[in-house]
Amino acid sequence: MALLEVKDLKQHFTIKKGFLGEKKKVKAVDGVSFHIEQGETLGIVGESGCGKSSLGRTILQLIKPTSGDIFFGGKNITHLPRKEMKELRKDMQIVFQDPYASLNPRSTVRAILETPLIVHGVGNRQERRKVVEGLIDKIGIRKDQLDRFPHEFSGGQRQRIGIARALTLNPKLIIADEPVSALDVSVQSQVLNLMVDLQKELNLSYMFISHDLSVVQHISDRVAVMYLGKIVEIADVEELYRNPLHPYTKALLTAVPIPDPTKKRDRIILQGDLPSPINPPTGCAFHTRCPVATPECKEESPELREKAMGHWASCIHVHHEQSEKTKINIS
Amino acid sequence: MLLELNDVSLSLKRDGKYVKILDGISLQVKKGETVGIVGESGCGKSMTALSVMRLLPEKAKLEGVIQLDHEDITSYSKRKMEKIRGNKMAMIFQDPLTSLNPLHTVGRQIEETLILHTDLNKEQRKRRVIELLNEVGLPRADEIASEYPHQLSGGMRQRIMIAVAMACNPSLLICDEPTTALDVTVQAQILDLMNHLKDVNEMGIIMITHDLGVVAEVCDRVVVMYAGKIVEQANVKELFINPKHPYTKGLLESIPKLGVKKAKLGSIPGMVPSPDKMPKGCRFYERCSSAMEVCKGTTPPMSSVGEEHTAACWLYEEKGGEMNGSSGSEGLEATLHN
Repeated sequence: MALLEVKDLKQHFTIKKGFLGEKKKVKAVDGVSFHIEQGETLGIVGESGCGKSSLGRTILQLIKPTSGDIFFGGKNITHLPRKEMKELRKDMQIVFQDPYASLNPRSTVRAILETPLIVHGVGNRQERRKVVEGLIDKIGIRKDQLDRFPHEFSGGQRQRIGIARALTLNPKLIIADEPVSALDVSVQSQVLNLMVDLQKELNLSYMFISHDLSVVQHISDRVAVMYLGKIVEIADVEELYRNPLHPYTKALLTAVPIPDPTKKRDRIILQGDLPSPINPPTGCAFHTRCPVATPECKEESPELREKAMGHWASCIHVHHEQSEKTKINIS
Repeated sequence: MLLELNDVSLSLKRDGKYVKILDGISLQVKKGETVGIVGESGCGKSMTALSVMRLLPEKAKLEGVIQLDHEDITSYSKRKMEKIRGNKMAMIFQDPLTSLNPLHTVGRQIEETLILHTDLNKEQRKRRVIELLNEVGLPRADEIASEYPHQLSGGMRQRIMIAVAMACNPSLLICDEPTTALDVTVQAQILDLMNHLKDVNEMGIIMITHDLGVVAEVCDRVVVMYAGKIVEQANVKELFINPKHPYTKGLLESIPKLGVKKAKLGSIPGMVPSPDKMPKGCRFYERCSSAMEVCKGTTPPMSSVGEEHTAACWLYEEKGGEMNGSSGSEGLEATLHN
């Protein structure tokens, strides 16, 4: 049984627009289904505005979903009463992108790490102290630094504190929303290595949201690619990077600059920008930028279908037998 | 040589005393060449660019010589600088939204450069604006010219910034993280455009970025900076295949590479020292895995470690701190290769 299962999840925001107050909807998440196993990392990639962050927040029910179901450990948690949901939050935690904005500047690191324990009534003072001290040991911060404030730490250290905070209640699932995007590369690798080590040690599941395809490849077991609120492709990490099926995934992969000047690739350069999610194109949302779009794509909204073992893509132009031919060499 | 920086240092006033932000920067940019400056936040890569443009805070102390087209521009007056800024040299910034004026149409902002630096009449300027918008790949140029920055997407805004910079055909273009705020598919478009413009106009480009992927794709030569100093310089292939400075090596090992799945990434322990507490000797000493006794007290000189390849590291100098040891460095190199 999967630890987390999401079925046809939708998150539609109503926004006011226009002088007469006519209401419009942003379909931030529009019918997303996937699952995450215990101890597994699912990477979610996509460009800005594709709905990847809204998806993370909806799963944690920091915002209530418009429709769809979320199962955690086999239990439908979509309509849980407040009290039960609070209890459940111990098992699912979040790490945010900006380590400067997500830690309270007026609290010491000790207080930041102890708060979740107090909120959930875990242990007495001494026990809590022990938990906190055990945690900072894991993330490589010294005991004598516990009474310092966030501003006294570097970006990388702060992000490690953010991770420690997420770990205080022994969660099973951590949703990490661009956890290394604000960090310099040498520090980014420290944090990524820490996350991998912690996962092994604690058998954590990660949902790792990022726009950086190289980072996602590094940390994920499976990867889902999102475009305008929908998953357009999902597969095992090796399969997805070696044999991308959806034209968007292909373009995305060839667009990433590779730090190797000896390799020259044929790049698929997409025209234009991401369309506005307020008024997404009809049919396949990608057809306005797609290099292989046909008139059918305008009409027909493609479904996510299994094109090869465990490899799902939503494009009417991808068939089983095609998959071999469309292989591209990304390295 | 289009641009030459010779032993340029920059100090800024902080809390009443001068702090050295750049220390002895020497680099060159040839015509038609793209030079990448890489390094992590706070290494001084943007300040180097701003020193060339002389867009510095009040009371900044700039030392050394900056030559543009063999002319020393360090002694130029404010007015004289204004004449070449936007004309002979132009700059593109990271965030196109804050660099464009929200109250003027983008057409007018491109035209402004033309008003300042050319004697085209109104009619000619209008035509040149449309021409520029076409050059940077914007469709419906005449419509876009009368739109405001907020009506355009991030990628389009960056194209406008490029159009502004290109308005007077500068011989030097400085780009400070031009694609960092953009999505990858849009970044690919912009890099493509810049490569195209470079080929057409034979500009010299300084590309400042933290993204080693971008460097590999667009640069001919790379300068690696750490804590206000240049630590390594080489042509792009040489640098990626045969990095010499431990910092460059560490950087290259810490990036996840597309198509290569490793269990563990390399990383550099610790963090960049702050400018007012720079360590003596080599500034990378505390984080360096091959640090030696000599690194602690004495700043390593730039040594030649290959063809047009230099690194500031004691590993490539005679150990024990012999300053004039270029012959010694070869001997040591030979032993390193064995």
